[in-house]
Amino acid sequence: MNTTPAPLTAPNWAKLGVIFGFVGALSILLWGPIGVSGTYPRLIGEFFRAFDPSYAETNPYLVRMGSLLRPETFLVLGLVIGGFLGARRDVEKAPKVEMPHVVATSDARRYTEAFLAGFLILFGARLAGGCTSGLIISGMTQLSIAGFVFAAGVFATGIGTAKLMQALRAGN
Amino acid sequence: MANIYGLIIGIAMGFLIQRVRASSPAVILQNLRLENLSIIKFMAMTIAVGMMVTYTLNLFIPNLLHFDIKPTYLLGVLLGGLIFGVGFGLGGYCPGTCVVGIGEGRRDAWFALGGGIVGTLVFTLVYTSVIQPIVAVMDFGRITVQDLLHVPAIVPALVIGVLFLVVIKLLPTEIKQA
Repeated sequence: MNTTPAPLTAPNWAKLGVIFGFVGALSILLWGPIGVSGTYPRLIGEFFRAFDPSYAETNPYLVRMGSLLRPETFLVLGLVIGGFLGARRDVEKAPKVEMPHVVATSDARRYTEAFLAGFLILFGARLAGGCTSGLIISGMTQLSIAGFVFAAGVFATGIGTAKLMQALRAGN
Repeated sequence: MANIYGLIIGIAMGFLIQRVRASSPAVILQNLRLENLSIIKFMAMTIAVGMMVTYTLNLFIPNLLHFDIKPTYLLGVLLGGLIFGVGFGLGGYCPGTCVVGIGEGRRDAWFALGGGIVGTLVFTLVYTSVIQPIVAVMDFGRITVQDLLHVPAIVPALVIGVLFLVVIKLLPTEIKQA
């Protein structure tokens, strides 16, 4: 039975948090609050504008979210670069497939879970109007009520699901 | 120019997320099982510093900051959070950390991204039939803590910011399991 590896806590999480706080404030000063999940429907919008323009023009959500040509899209591209640059500072490479629950499963099952999880986080984020960055970080930074409500919901089922997965896997 | 700023902020954000290990699903799950609170405390630190810096700046240079408050349609925001949490606890990624994970070379991050694109596609297709009725319920508009309390924004920004810092200080980072 595999168990999770020793904690991978970054010892400097507090310093990194302070820097991230200033980065978020700088973003609001320069162009607007950070946010990631809105880029997904803008990508879907570009797809429909290319292959089914009449649908793109009549779907009110795609019309409202608009084009990919805006700072948030470049922010998402920056995330890939930042992740790549950050990983270069690690001696050990990030695992290709990581088993997040206490007991490991097959790679195929992990991919299936990651896909299903991706579906849920984006569906939930688009329903709420933002994700961890746009609603929790930027929302609470700006003292928006929506940010606090969303965070409460995320951690309620997030903690519940994590504990449930642990109990289910331990039972097998 | 704003696009260039967006790119630079994104690079900084991706780098910080990678360095703090928030793009590691295993670390996220340790946090959600409440065994290790490093990412939760990192987020709280980010928010505390962010609100204090942002609203202090706003005192000195009013009307220059690009605030963008999202609407509080209570049912949809809460329901969205609850659905998001299930995915977060199942996969250990969020919409941004899976993109960071792709930059790091994580293969499971591609599956999370693919699931996210399909999830967004389904959302778009059911928008008028399912989503619009939900987001119309209990819509309080773009409200903030300072709107509810009728106080200047700097007051809750400093009070909540300091409160977060105290909680961060009091909570342990590693929690011993029984």
